[in-house]
Amino acid sequence: MSADVELSDVSVTFGSFYAAKNVNVKVNGGEFFSFLGPSGCGKTTLLRAISGFQEPSEGKVLIDNKDMSGIGPNKRPTALIFQNLALFPLMSVSENIAFSLEVRGVSKEERKKRADELLELIALEGQGEKKVHQLSGGQKQRVAIARALAVEPKVLLLDEPLSALDLKLRQRMRTELREIQKRVNITFIYITHDQGEALTMSDRIAVMNEGELEQIGKCDEVYNNPLTPFVATFVGENNPLYGKVTGIKGDKAQIETADGQYLAMMNETKKLNIGDESIAFVRPESLFIPRDDDSFDNKIDVNIESFEFEGNLKNFYARLQSGAKIKFSVPNAIDTSSISSGSSIALGFDSSKSVILPKASLAID
Amino acid sequence: MMGIYIFIFFAYLFGPLIIMSITAFNSAEFPSIAPWECFSFRWFNEGKIAYDGQHLAGLLSDWRLHDGIISSLIIGAGVVTLSVPIGMAAAIVLTQVRSQLRDIYYSISIMPVLFPGVIIGISTVVLWDRIAGLGGEGFISDIGRNGIFLTILAQTCFISTYCFLIFVARLQRFDQTQEEAALDLGASQTQVFFKILVPYLSPAIASAAVIAFLFSFENYNTTVFSILSDQTLTTVIASKVRLGISPALSALALTIIALTIIAAVTYEVLRRRAEKRYAESQERFVKEKAADNRINKKYKAGFKIPKGITAILLIVVFATYGATQIVKNDLYGQSCIDAADKEKKSKFLEQLQTLESNELTDEELSGGSLGGNQDYGDIFGDPSLFQDFGGFD
Repeated sequence: MSADVELSDVSVTFGSFYAAKNVNVKVNGGEFFSFLGPSGCGKTTLLRAISGFQEPSEGKVLIDNKDMSGIGPNKRPTALIFQNLALFPLMSVSENIAFSLEVRGVSKEERKKRADELLELIALEGQGEKKVHQLSGGQKQRVAIARALAVEPKVLLLDEPLSALDLKLRQRMRTELREIQKRVNITFIYITHDQGEALTMSDRIAVMNEGELEQIGKCDEVYNNPLTPFVATFVGENNPLYGKVTGIKGDKAQIETADGQYLAMMNETKKLNIGDESIAFVRPESLFIPRDDDSFDNKIDVNIESFEFEGNLKNFYARLQSGAKIKFSVPNAIDTSSISSGSSIALGFDSSKSVILPKASLAID
Repeated sequence: MMGIYIFIFFAYLFGPLIIMSITAFNSAEFPSIAPWECFSFRWFNEGKIAYDGQHLAGLLSDWRLHDGIISSLIIGAGVVTLSVPIGMAAAIVLTQVRSQLRDIYYSISIMPVLFPGVIIGISTVVLWDRIAGLGGEGFISDIGRNGIFLTILAQTCFISTYCFLIFVARLQRFDQTQEEAALDLGASQTQVFFKILVPYLSPAIASAAVIAFLFSFENYNTTVFSILSDQTLTTVIASKVRLGISPALSALALTIIALTIIAAVTYEVLRRRAEKRYAESQERFVKEKAADNRINKKYKAGFKIPKGITAILLIVVFATYGATQIVKNDLYGQSCIDAADKEKKSKFLEQLQTLESNELTDEELSGGSLGGNQDYGDIFGDPSLFQDFGGFD
């Protein structure tokens, strides 16, 4: 039922502009795969290349190991869910769902049967006669999915379909999408700029920036072991500490910054040498206010500037002596009444929770 | 103050139409309100039978008018079937061309509207005359000198542009991802066109057809050249006006106005009914969704007297009153017209007798006295003398 999708050396150019550059990905059959990146990074272009609306300027798109070049969107075993859903407003819900069957000349009874089946799958039984505008946002979403699934595509492509929904609905739709994917067991390729969506739903994600792939991997892998400063700062939040490598101890490296020396994990593929310009990253939740029994090998002195209450977390914004900003978060359960703005405290973090990478541009500078 | 201005404005707009409509019911041979002769429907029927021609024919008996209406309808249908598809195709092309070309394409497309209609008419005739000249005596020569065919082509030239503009306006709001969605779901380009685009454009198709028909029906300045030896409604009316207008034209105008109003009212009623049905379905949807039955109670249907009923009652009262007055004063019907005719004829007889009694003797004629001229002047000065004579048809 499901199919592998492979992009081999795919580039898409518009004039001299590279919307996608030498992209190599292999999405396994039955996988929930996400492309994650800021807007304008070329992820929608890749999706259009897979669905057939955009021919790659270079390289090949393979679905089920078959070269798709020259095959139009209506002949590919893919179905695309558009960002605005693109439901047909003049048709009823059932007609929308059965549209792909109608254009294939399936008889009316069979179309109705299949539409009813799909309505059941998306928990909208008996609502097939309604017009699209009578549905709520979440229901429209599900109708769009049902419509795409009607001809049993091998690959379902989703172009930020949740971006128009409110937060609660988005969270519910995430679980629903995941459940539908498990039930129909086909390949889902999902496009989003929302790292929360990507991390919660996907089996694997590919992080993109300016048309190029930065990293492909499992969610925790990408989060914990980013390969580039861009990934480190785009997926979740990270505090950068700029400096030079002064020593290497096994898989860890010592970095000398304006505010002191820190130890951080090196990535196997991004080996560093002494004297290299580099950045150490530490996540806000990895910084903590040390107690006597905590074990840590990095200490950092900060000046608290402001405080923000987020609910489950309390965020503190602070400055180092050099003036560099740093953010740290503590769970709401921890008592922080002793910390007030203007006070100086010492924070700790463990070198295994910090990564050091060669210097390059960040996601947000 | 505001009310007065509005009244003046509407009087300016509709005054001529109202006065002209009233003249259609006056039996007098020249459209007038005063003097009022008889209230009659003669101009809607056979008019006055004049033995010297058809110039006083009513709507029912004027065969030239009938021929004109028929060819106008044929031309209108032809123009609609040609210009709606042309306008639609041109508008769809506009959405496909690249942005640099779009402005040029758009300007070229709307150019026919800017040309004077006379030029379109003349150039069509000139072109087809040449084409007809090429083919000898065959089909091409027939068709190239067929007024109805040429008029359809000439009118389509600029009417398709109006259709184009209507389609462009509708297409601007079209969500092109719907086409992509349909393609992605396996539809061919043809299926996308017939299942997505045409249903979306159907309101525009309807209004383009109506507008194309109306433009064609009322067109004169292109038609007058391209129609050649045939006649359409507008050219018939124009040639009638040249011979002196008869109240039959008022009757025709009133008929057209009435048809327009009926069509507009019917459309409005149908539209409101559809809107109401839509609102009801929405309401039902809300009710279904709302678990709270307090909302349901609020929507209980009650009996309402329609607001229009007072207006209808007023019209009925006035109409009955007016009709009784007309009958009472013997202002209606054949007897009134006969009486009026008789009066005119007796006047004519009187004048004839005066003429005879004033006849010059041979002596007076040979005497060279031209004093008689004054007598003749009296006769010709009588405005009712040649009233029955409308000219040679």
